Amino acid sequence: MSREILIDPVTRLEGHGRIHIFLDADGGVDRAYLQIPELRGFEKFVQGRRAEDMPQITSRICGVCPMAHHMAATKALDDLYQVDPPPAGRKIRELLYNAFMVEDHALHFFFLGGPDFIVGPDAPRHKRNILGVIDAVGLEVGKEVIGVRKQLRDLVAAVAGKAIHPVFGLPGGVSRSLSGELQQQAAAAAARAVEFSQFALGAFRKTVLGNPGYVELVTSEAYTHRTYYMGLVDEANKVTFYDGTLRVVGPDGKELLTFTGRDYLDHVAEHVEPWTYMKFCFLKDIGWHGFADGAASGVYSVAPLARLNVADGMATPRAQEVYEEFVTTLGPKPVHHTLANHWARIIELVYAAERMAGLAGDPQITDPQVRTLPTAVPREGVGVVEAPRGTLFHHYQTDERGLITAANLIVATQNNAARIALSVDKAARALIRNGQVDDGLLNQVEMSFRAYDPCFGCSTHSLPGQMALIVEVRDAGGALLQEIRRD
Amino acid sequence: MRTLVLGLGNEYAGDDAVGVLAVRALRGELAGDAEVVESAASGLALLEVFAGHDGAVVVDSIRTGRSPAGTIVEAGLAELGPAIAPSLHQAGIPELAAVARRLGMGFPDRTRVLAVEVAGPLTFGAPLSEPVAAAIAPLGRRILDQVKRWASEDSRRGRPEDAGGGPEDTLPRGPGGTRCTTTTRSARS
Repeated sequence: MSREILIDPVTRLEGHGRIHIFLDADGGVDRAYLQIPELRGFEKFVQGRRAEDMPQITSRICGVCPMAHHMAATKALDDLYQVDPPPAGRKIRELLYNAFMVEDHALHFFFLGGPDFIVGPDAPRHKRNILGVIDAVGLEVGKEVIGVRKQLRDLVAAVAGKAIHPVFGLPGGVSRSLSGELQQQAAAAAARAVEFSQFALGAFRKTVLGNPGYVELVTSEAYTHRTYYMGLVDEANKVTFYDGTLRVVGPDGKELLTFTGRDYLDHVAEHVEPWTYMKFCFLKDIGWHGFADGAASGVYSVAPLARLNVADGMATPRAQEVYEEFVTTLGPKPVHHTLANHWARIIELVYAAERMAGLAGDPQITDPQVRTLPTAVPREGVGVVEAPRGTLFHHYQTDERGLITAANLIVATQNNAARIALSVDKAARALIRNGQVDDGLLNQVEMSFRAYDPCFGCSTHSLPGQMALIVEVRDAGGALLQEIRRD
Repeated sequence: MRTLVLGLGNEYAGDDAVGVLAVRALRGELAGDAEVVESAASGLALLEVFAGHDGAVVVDSIRTGRSPAGTIVEAGLAELGPAIAPSLHQAGIPELAAVARRLGMGFPDRTRVLAVEVAGPLTFGAPLSEPVAAAIAPLGRRILDQVKRWASEDSRRGRPEDAGGGPEDTLPRGPGGTRCTTTTRSARS
């Protein structure tokens, strides 16, 4: 290796996403990957703490999806104390979880993914940001995104106590029942969410599906990897976020295996490379065979597209309709096009809203019995949910008093790390020749990893300062040969 | 409350806790003068926090590598520059301001960021490093000074209830004192 190119968002704390591209002696790409932050010291930090505190502690490790960690931790406590929540407890959890999914998917669809597919990859650089999206969709749409989000956050705050860091999940249930008044609030929020999801779908059809160039881009080889996929499914093999069985399908779409959260270590392993602290998840059943796609490689993917690929459909009617349209257009399944994650996300938005409405209208949800008291001696528990960005595992071991002796978390972006590396690598290979970096590199790299919605927020929050993308080209001795700055 | 004091950070993650701890220590002294908010949220999740305020002191950690740990870096909105991140979850304060104003949600015209340079990568369960811990007291004084300065500017103008800032502050307010007027103007400016 003679040179390293580093695409580095200069950030406030070490560990934000960085793209490293190593060149070989001939100026070609040796390897490229995305580095995500490490949860340094987390396992040691939680040792000796009460397991019941984990939903609160873990909801603070991520500034972006605290509800996903809260719920995975709460479910791990159910397993730890071998206790099932009563129906109302379970339904309240799932209601809030779907409210969170609507909120998160809505934000991503419009504001985070929007620069790539609402504004479009060919738009001038200064337009490819949130303000450009607002200009493209119109002020009223932008306001509606904020309005829906606010209504959902208010609901979560009213039911769970605190919107950003929920405090309601307990082993065996939730901390309070849902009053008739709160049920009405939930039903109203769900109705607005359903309406919003239809509206978002309309915006997607108009701006994206109405543009043949976009469909061509989505299906182009540059954004295609034929890997395995993993996600939770319900008893009918439909997409589910809160609870279910993990299902894995191969690049040919056939089911490879199903397993429960408890058995995750039999099927998911982490590969370590000498050149990074990052660990790359792979399927144990297939094995690690390098950064490659295809049936012989254990590389797999999670996130909205993976969830649609592992499922046989959607559990709610409107979501099922749009799912069928998706399969007709991009199928047969599995769909291997990374950029199809944006479309998958909008289908999931429709599902989450409909699911919310179904749960809010369920008479059983106001039952005052919302918790089963745990009596078992704790030892070990695993909780799994589908976070907006994909499968999230929480695994705790405790002593008989319920004090944590060991903890392991696998977040969505870790599950996706190897496939994201494939995407970065593919972009780099296509656009770097003889050491010359094509200007399109940053765009293509950004577009491919934005589709996964990788979250670097698992240990960080805001960012008050200047942040730019920097590509550094260095020679073997570390001397700077070239710097490309975008700020 | 017109002035917001927002402490950002993860209180479990070593030096990253500095913003949260600094504002927590001021809750008593600031009671009645500012709304104190602690948050581990990031990027656009903070959008709603700023609405309804016309002054904001954002207290955070920062790692520029250009100053020794414990150095307090101060900046206004204009000096922060844009954040262009691989994931827009990490939208910076200027982006939040731009989006909030465009959408008519309101963002304080007067926003100051006080950030403490931190020593290294964050480690869960680690205490604050010595230089960062030593910065908490002077940081607290600067936060209080800033809040008082705005209050006295406002009282000099004879409008203690109307703590709006910025050059357009003399324009008439919307009915009922709502902030929408301010933000509409901001969006135009």
